[in-house]
Amino acid sequence: MFSVHVFRLPAVLVFGLGFLLLIAACDQGEPHIKVDLSKRIQIKAQRDLDSLTYAYLPQYSHRVSFARHHRIVQYLSAQTELPIRQVFPDSFAQHVQMVGEGKIDISFSNPLVYIQIADRFQAQAIARTVEQDGKSTFRGQIICREDNKAIQNIQDCRGKRWMAVSPTSAGGYLFALAYFQKHGLDRDDFQRIEFSPGPGGKQEKVVQAVYLGEYDIGSIREGTLDLMQDRVDLSAIRILATTKRYPGWVYAVRPGLDAGTVNRITQALCALDRDTHEEEEILAQAHIQRIIPAQDQEFDPIRELASQTGVKWRE
Amino acid sequence: MSRHRSVFSRLKFKTKLNLGLFTVILSLGLVLGLITTHIASTGLIQENKERALALASNLAYRSEEPLLARDFLRLKGLVDEVHTGNSDVMYSFILDNTDQVLVHSFDQGFPEDLLHVHPQDTGQESVRLVSTEKGTLYDIAQPIVISNNQLGMVRLGLHRQRLEEMINRLSLTIFGLTGTITILALGVASWFSNRFTSRIKSLTECATEMIKGNLEVHSAPELIKNCWEITGCRATDCPAYGDTRRRCWYVSGTLCPIYHPDHAPRNMESCRDCPVYRHNVGDEIQELAEAFDYMAMTLNERIQELSATENELSRQKELLQTVLDVTPDMIAFQDRNLTYRVANKAFCSYFQLSESDIIGKTDSDIFSEYQADQNYHEDMQILQTGQSLSKEISVRQGHTSTWFHIVKVPVYDQGVISGLLLAARDITVIKQYQERLIHSQKMEDLGRLAGGVAHEINTPLGIILGYVQMLLDDVDSDSQMAEDLRIVEKQTKICSSIVSDLLGFSRQSSTTKGDVDIHQSIREVISLVEHTFSLNRVKIVTDFDPNIPEIEGDKDRLKQVWMNLFNNAFDAIESDGQIKISTKLCAHRRRVAITVADTGSGIKQEVLDKIFDPFFSTKPVGKGTGLGLSVTFGIIKDHGGRINVLSPAPKEYLAGMETSTSGPGTVFLVELPLWEMTLPDEECEELTHTRT
Repeated sequence: MFSVHVFRLPAVLVFGLGFLLLIAACDQGEPHIKVDLSKRIQIKAQRDLDSLTYAYLPQYSHRVSFARHHRIVQYLSAQTELPIRQVFPDSFAQHVQMVGEGKIDISFSNPLVYIQIADRFQAQAIARTVEQDGKSTFRGQIICREDNKAIQNIQDCRGKRWMAVSPTSAGGYLFALAYFQKHGLDRDDFQRIEFSPGPGGKQEKVVQAVYLGEYDIGSIREGTLDLMQDRVDLSAIRILATTKRYPGWVYAVRPGLDAGTVNRITQALCALDRDTHEEEEILAQAHIQRIIPAQDQEFDPIRELASQTGVKWRE
Repeated sequence: MSRHRSVFSRLKFKTKLNLGLFTVILSLGLVLGLITTHIASTGLIQENKERALALASNLAYRSEEPLLARDFLRLKGLVDEVHTGNSDVMYSFILDNTDQVLVHSFDQGFPEDLLHVHPQDTGQESVRLVSTEKGTLYDIAQPIVISNNQLGMVRLGLHRQRLEEMINRLSLTIFGLTGTITILALGVASWFSNRFTSRIKSLTECATEMIKGNLEVHSAPELIKNCWEITGCRATDCPAYGDTRRRCWYVSGTLCPIYHPDHAPRNMESCRDCPVYRHNVGDEIQELAEAFDYMAMTLNERIQELSATENELSRQKELLQTVLDVTPDMIAFQDRNLTYRVANKAFCSYFQLSESDIIGKTDSDIFSEYQADQNYHEDMQILQTGQSLSKEISVRQGHTSTWFHIVKVPVYDQGVISGLLLAARDITVIKQYQERLIHSQKMEDLGRLAGGVAHEINTPLGIILGYVQMLLDDVDSDSQMAEDLRIVEKQTKICSSIVSDLLGFSRQSSTTKGDVDIHQSIREVISLVEHTFSLNRVKIVTDFDPNIPEIEGDKDRLKQVWMNLFNNAFDAIESDGQIKISTKLCAHRRRVAITVADTGSGIKQEVLDKIFDPFFSTKPVGKGTGLGLSVTFGIIKDHGGRINVLSPAPKEYLAGMETSTSGPGTVFLVELPLWEMTLPDEECEELTHTRT
């Protein structure tokens, strides 16, 4: 019996080894695609697209801007039957500049930027948004770290490092500056005031800077913290103060745009209906409850606020 | 196949073990090496692919912002950064959502073929193995997606060469390590197998010694400490005490208080916790060796017991054989198949066969068909009924017949008949005695009758004779009357003589007992007849034993016996022959044997038993009365002796005699007691061998 097994065993071993070698060799059997790297072509320069441009003031990153507004852009193109594409200015200043240069046909910006482009370049307000809380106004927030014992009230902000979103940010700077002034603190009372660096993502950068302790206080628009809840431990952030409400974000068109086109765009924007499932999704993705018609004079309170705080918007 | 098998089976166990271990370890090493290499290389390839995907994913993520901002310079920077920052990245480039190349890392132009590596518009990450003139590489495609909208595609080309070098180095390391471990394992296995097989070899040597007959083997290691040393036991009457060859748990009847008395040896349930067991117990091979030693020792004891039993049996067998052989009876044993299993010497001698000719044979091989068939039916009846058989049979061989008393008895083995035992005794002599006794009784009755008749006739005969003689005195002696009276006188005398003989036969005549010299009485008779016999050239020779003393008897009547015997011998010879007269004192000096042998015509067998009957005669009418031998018989019997006759005469009785005469001869054997007128019961040795 044993001797029979003796001769079965090597056969089994040989078979097993062969099988294993086959498995090992299988790696070499991965299908190849033959590519000739010597066949080269030259890449042609991209042609500018002949279409209307839509820009969202880069208070957030381009990714967020795209994610929030690309469906509105698609909706507008479909409704107005006009070719519309979204462009992404790197900063508030560039946004303003591009409106002035006619590179942005449809601008969606905060009221402070709007009064700048309106007063500098005669941009025309056509609609304004209603926030998700159902109000057509919005407000700013002053934040600090929860564990910052040195800052217990607004007066404690004196001599501290303040990061704001941008000199042309409404919720992220202007509203907070007005709040500080109302409570007796002016620009010189802070150790320093810095604005979010680089392109896009400016609101998020303020939250990040406060969270990391780089700055003692930060000013942001309301709603930013909700946006950051997956990236920052919000329990470490304390809302020190919330500003008054001011008119919300505004749609404006550059001067010189055909009146019919402006009309079609305005109607299309204001026609977005929350009762329609698809349009409700478009509005929700843009964090907007609905869009209502707007007039330029509705933003006079912002002009007044800018004058009071000393923020220059007419250059 | 069978050749290979036989070659393998001839290998030493140690070699087989080493070969087996070598094969297993090497196979295991190779298998493990191959599997490890396979797993490691697969893992490396997978890891590399994932790294490439991570690079591509990272590039895609970082490209989102500049792509949306259409900042091609930044895109170019990102692409170049990936290319230059990772030496195994051969190229990288970014496509927009219309598959137009936006930026790439190639120096001169863009390889057009790369646009066709992946399927169009899948929107999924993808890895393809690409073979180029600069080597094999993985081409990674990673879509740039924001909110389910594909903005473009990142592509990376990752060299496989470095990966393959890593896999080769890894394989080399694994196989080197496996080889080293295999060699080390082989060394350890070889050392282990040596240790293992050396103990088996020791067992084998012990087994070989046992085969040679040496059962005093000891293969288990010596105990360092024995049970009485460990426990401090002083029970010197315990069978385990002082026994250094066996472990205490092999000793039955141990008095150890830990050991349960109901347990047999090797049932070590109660020993598990014993300090002696725990101290002395070894591995399985040691247990085997201990059991082996125990077995050898037990075997030795059994063999010695068997040897003693065998000797006893052999002695008993020899004794039985001797008893069987010395007994004059024929004894044989047949099994249930009636095959002979035992036959004693007497049995073999009777049939003139050797023991080997009988053992294993049946009656049909030994006897005639008729006799064998008769025996078979008898034997089967005994085997079936269990009834013994006892019978007397007469077997005739030539002119002689022999009587046997046969006993057949069934032999039982554990209540079942296993065969039958045959015993056959020669009872011819007894039979002859019986016949003689009957004959003797008959003669005695006849003699008494004849004596009575003779006694009554004797008186009238005497008166007749007296008156005849008186008349003769009265008549003229020359007259016819005187002549007639003389005839009457003569015939009356003859009658008187006959009556006298009858009276002698019946022992009613007067006897005169005295000391008789046998030889002298014989010589006197010889002197009377010698001359007469010589006239017919009949010679008388004598062979006397000089040691014969005188006996008590009637001299004249004994002379009458000799005369009768000599005359009968002479009548049988008629002429030209010899009569030999021998005497012999028996060994125990209790009787005298006299033989009268002649070279005459002998006596026919059919009349041999009748010659001593009164008035029986083979002689012609007028030649004899037929009373001679019957009178002789009566005289010898009257002397307490015995007379027998053998015819033809055995050669030894005729030794030294001239046998030119025609007859087979006859010999008369006379035995006479020396004392008290009675013969001893046993046969006379000097005459026994001649009995018929």
